[in-house]
Amino acid sequence: MNRAVPASLIELRDVSKIYSLGEGGVTALKKVNLTIQRGEFVAVWGPSGSGKSTLCNLIGLLDSPSRGTVHLDGQDVTRLPDDHRSELRNHSIGFIFQSFNLIPVLSALENVMLPLQIAKRSGKLSKMALERLAEVGLKDHAAHRPAKLSGGQQQRVAIARALVTDPALVIADEPTANLDSENALRIIDLMRRINHKNGTTFVFSTHDQRLLEQVDRQVLMRDGEIIEDRAPEQMESRRPLTVRL
Amino acid sequence: MMTWIKLALRNLFRNRRRSLFTILAIGLGFAAVNTLGGFTEYIFTNLKEGYIYTQGNGHLSIFKAGFLKEGKLDPTRYLLDEAEVTTIQTVLTHYPEILVVAPQLHISGLLSNGKVSTIFVAAGRVPSAVHTINSRARGMMGRIQLFDGKPLEDDVIYGVGLSKGLAEQLKLGLGSDPVAMAPTVSGQINALDAQVFQLFDSPVEALEDKFMLVPLKFAQNLYDTSSVDRLTVLLRDDGLTEPMRAQLAEDLAAQGLKLDIKTWNELSTFYTKVKQMFDVIFLVTFLIVFTIVVMSVVNTVSMAIMERTREIGTLRALGFKRRGIVGLFATESMLLGVFGSLLGTLLTLLIWFGVVLLEPTWVPPQITRRVPLEIYLVPDYMLYSVLLLIVLSLAAASLPARKAARMQIVGALGHT
Ligand SMILES: Nc1ncnc2c1ncn2[C@@H]1O[C@H](COP(=O)(O)OP(=O)(O)OP(=O)(O)O)[C@@H](O)[C@H]1O
Ligand SMILES: [Mg+2]
Repeated sequence: MNRAVPASLIELRDVSKIYSLGEGGVTALKKVNLTIQRGEFVAVWGPSGSGKSTLCNLIGLLDSPSRGTVHLDGQDVTRLPDDHRSELRNHSIGFIFQSFNLIPVLSALENVMLPLQIAKRSGKLSKMALERLAEVGLKDHAAHRPAKLSGGQQQRVAIARALVTDPALVIADEPTANLDSENALRIIDLMRRINHKNGTTFVFSTHDQRLLEQVDRQVLMRDGEIIEDRAPEQMESRRPLTVRL
Repeated sequence: MMTWIKLALRNLFRNRRRSLFTILAIGLGFAAVNTLGGFTEYIFTNLKEGYIYTQGNGHLSIFKAGFLKEGKLDPTRYLLDEAEVTTIQTVLTHYPEILVVAPQLHISGLLSNGKVSTIFVAAGRVPSAVHTINSRARGMMGRIQLFDGKPLEDDVIYGVGLSKGLAEQLKLGLGSDPVAMAPTVSGQINALDAQVFQLFDSPVEALEDKFMLVPLKFAQNLYDTSSVDRLTVLLRDDGLTEPMRAQLAEDLAAQGLKLDIKTWNELSTFYTKVKQMFDVIFLVTFLIVFTIVVMSVVNTVSMAIMERTREIGTLRALGFKRRGIVGLFATESMLLGVFGSLLGTLLTLLIWFGVVLLEPTWVPPQITRRVPLEIYLVPDYMLYSVLLLIVLSLAAASLPARKAARMQIVGALGHT
């Protein structure tokens, strides 16, 4: 595509989300506009019920807005058929979940291989997956089932799984909510380093103020609206936190 | 592909008990249907063999047209005379598929022991021809002798066989000398001395106190005729019955003969009735098994989907398409079907082997003699059962699996 200005990775235009609930509906997002460029490291934060998860789900093509449009890499993906959205998620988006969501019957390595197998990729899938596991420091745990791993380890496997297809975008809805603060910092630091190294775009939501120090950009939400969208002034402090892995 | 089968297998292992019960239900159902099917096959085969070979009725019977309808009232009008028999036999000799052509004359009259007499009906047959037919029986029916005493002979025309009930009524035993009386075709009363060569169980219960077997010449002498009332035809193969009937009907009509050709199953009403009964029993059993299999698979898959809702959401988020989810659960239920069928095959073989080993005997209806009870292995039934059960498992899973595939991803992910 010959475009003078490369399209933003994500563009939400006047996006509203109304959950139908009984007679009325719950408005989770109100005419939200948001643009995220490639390589950004964005935190979405705000009180409970402010619409963070709803926003993440829309960006991640897990759900469709009630009104407005979602563009991914310049393409309007708002009303794509389900199969097409599934392919987009598989190829272009990695997911990290609050409760890790590893498949319990698969080993760490098999979990990481899963997106490649869904994509019907050929070649040395286990080698590719093993490299990702090494990247998150779990090479030695490749054969372990999730139940045999700690929460922090499980989330690192999930990060490896999210990255294995080299997606442009990784969505993480409260990736640290089920972790203690040390592990939480370690996870954010890991994501930050991958963001630096590979230029992968990260969008994650959090309650935790302390994690915000690590990000380029903070999107503050309240009652389904973005009430503040800023980059912290001290750019120096964006250095990766030195935490031992 | 292997990955998804592996995943499905491991998922089945997650709830071993549930999977095991489902596999057990399928396996037991399989074994029930196939054991019953094998027993039914044994019954049908033996009834058929019994009628065609042991009782010497052959595959086809050729009558003069109208004999079966009107022959009871006016038997002599519907007999086949010597010329007709010769014509028919000439036509039949052209077919190598035809092994035996045996003329018969069925007669009725009074049998007397000198003091009292009673009604008898008798099949007059050529003993050597009947023997040839008998000797081709396979299986159990070929091995058992259905009479006490000695065989009838072509040339010893006074030697006859009596059903035990008839012998009892007249207090006759082996070697006794009763007298048979009947009107001849021209209306005179005729009497012939006989000697009891053998005693047997009547193949038809209703005839137990009346039935006799006599050499054809005895019957013809008693009726004072050289005619017969039917020609029994034995074919090389059971499967030739229908095509040969059609072929012969054509050929014999071309000779200007007005004949009725009946197949063994048209004449053996008992076989037809038993078959109908077993077909109903089989259908009911099959429907019960069908219901149990469908219900247990639906239950297993629905439970699995409920327990794994969040996992389904995760797989969908990672890019699994809807049909991928359907495929995953379909694979799981197909594996249940496969394992169930394997278990069922094993159980069926075990039952079969047990029966072979124990050699149980029983007295089936209509045969007043202990015979071995067998269960046949019918590979066709087993193959169809395997296919059917797998298809059934797939079909049963498809409904819940489709519902699972259509779930909202976000909702599924939020499921705990
Ligand atoms: N499936 C749903 N049905 C109805 N209402 C919903 C649904 N999901 C979310 N909501 C409502 O939408 C609003 C936004 O919810 P959302 O989950 O996006 O908030 P959040 O910022 O992620 O909250 P938290 O920090 O607690 O995770 C809330 O009022 C919530 O009750
Ligand atoms: Mg949330």
